[in-house]
Amino acid sequence: MNVQDYILSGIIESYVLGLASPEESAEFERMCAAHHEVLAAREAFEIQLEQGFQLQKLEPPGESKSRIFSELGLEKSPASKIPLAKPKLVPRIGFAKYIAAASLILLVGSVLLNFYLLNQYKKQIAKNDELIAAQTQVASNNQVMQTKLQSYENAISLMQNPLMSIVKMPSVPKSPDASSMATVYWDTHSKDVYLLVNQLPKPLPNKQYQLWAIVNGKPVDAGVFDLEEGFSLMKLKNISNAQAFAITLEKKGGSVNPDLSAMYVMGKVTG
Amino acid sequence: MGSTPTYNEQELTSALKAKDQQAFSYLYDHYSGSLYSIILQIVKSPEVASDVLQEVFVNIWRKIESYDPIKGRLFTWMLNISRNASIDMLRSKNYQNSQKNQEITDNVYGGNQATQTNIDGIGLSKFLGKLRPEQRVLIELAYFKGYTHDEIAQIEDIPLGTVKTRIRNALLQLREFLK
Repeated sequence: MNVQDYILSGIIESYVLGLASPEESAEFERMCAAHHEVLAAREAFEIQLEQGFQLQKLEPPGESKSRIFSELGLEKSPASKIPLAKPKLVPRIGFAKYIAAASLILLVGSVLLNFYLLNQYKKQIAKNDELIAAQTQVASNNQVMQTKLQSYENAISLMQNPLMSIVKMPSVPKSPDASSMATVYWDTHSKDVYLLVNQLPKPLPNKQYQLWAIVNGKPVDAGVFDLEEGFSLMKLKNISNAQAFAITLEKKGGSVNPDLSAMYVMGKVTG
Repeated sequence: MGSTPTYNEQELTSALKAKDQQAFSYLYDHYSGSLYSIILQIVKSPEVASDVLQEVFVNIWRKIESYDPIKGRLFTWMLNISRNASIDMLRSKNYQNSQKNQEITDNVYGGNQATQTNIDGIGLSKFLGKLRPEQRVLIELAYFKGYTHDEIAQIEDIPLGTVKTRIRNALLQLREFLK
């Protein structure tokens, strides 16, 4: 058999596809070493076969490569690292979602809390205003009480004065009001005159009461006065000398001479 | 991580013998499809084929030292490893048990021809369809079942010389088929 017949005998295909017997294979390898044409024909068929198979590829399962690499303890190829990185992104997105949800919940909670606190604040402000008003009222009342107390203390202090001469002035027989009464406190040392109105009717708006000191039978003006509410000692004009005191109702501002028909009360200075 | 390098036959062989993982990765990306194809044509089941493919690449990595370029190209070497591993799988007890179960399932559910038909359309299985029936049987037994010529002569009850001649003639048509 010449070389060309040998090449076309089918031994090349048998050998390459692994169908040749050990004896045939050993002979073929010797022929390849001895004859360049045989080797070239073998390589030509191998390339043909490889190209034929490469056109008939079937995709193996995707995880196959990583299984092989992991069985061999090899690092994964760079190409297969990309899909492996993908699952890492998923929990990050999930985590961001949780963060966003938590932020929203916190924001809503914060807004609600702010409304609640603002309401509470407004209530406290209103309460505070009430308290301030009440406190002002109390302070104002206190001021009034203080003033009254002061005047009472003054009055009592004057009454306690041992030099004070007390002149009781009961209603005169011809008085327009029989229940009328007043008292003069006359400091015999300083000659100050204080009047306490025990009972006098309220005068007309164009009229005013006037106190008179009777000095040696003649009336001397001791000042006009208005009726004040509550207990008070009114300081009137100084009188150096008097035997009696009387009150008449005169025109507003007082008169030079008293209207004796309108005399309400009178009292003599004792001692 | 630059772009994937490309290798010629000698560079790839040298890199693999030097245990270059990037070269191995390239080898897988480039050849796993072809090798999976031939494995699937022999073992028929995709699950089994996947297991065999894993075994094949593990063996390629571990036994690359034994590859001798003088005896053939790298792809030829890998193709024969794949075929041998597939036939070993066919003969394993586990595989035969699973095939019995498969036959029962096929009988119950009226056969599972879809996978068979699919494989017939590709590669060497497609080539089988081009052969005369008496040739097809022998190639089926020899290449896809892994029987020796002697075994085939006994199974088919024909002389050993006839077996050899028919197989050689069939394989000569393969060259035309691949053109």
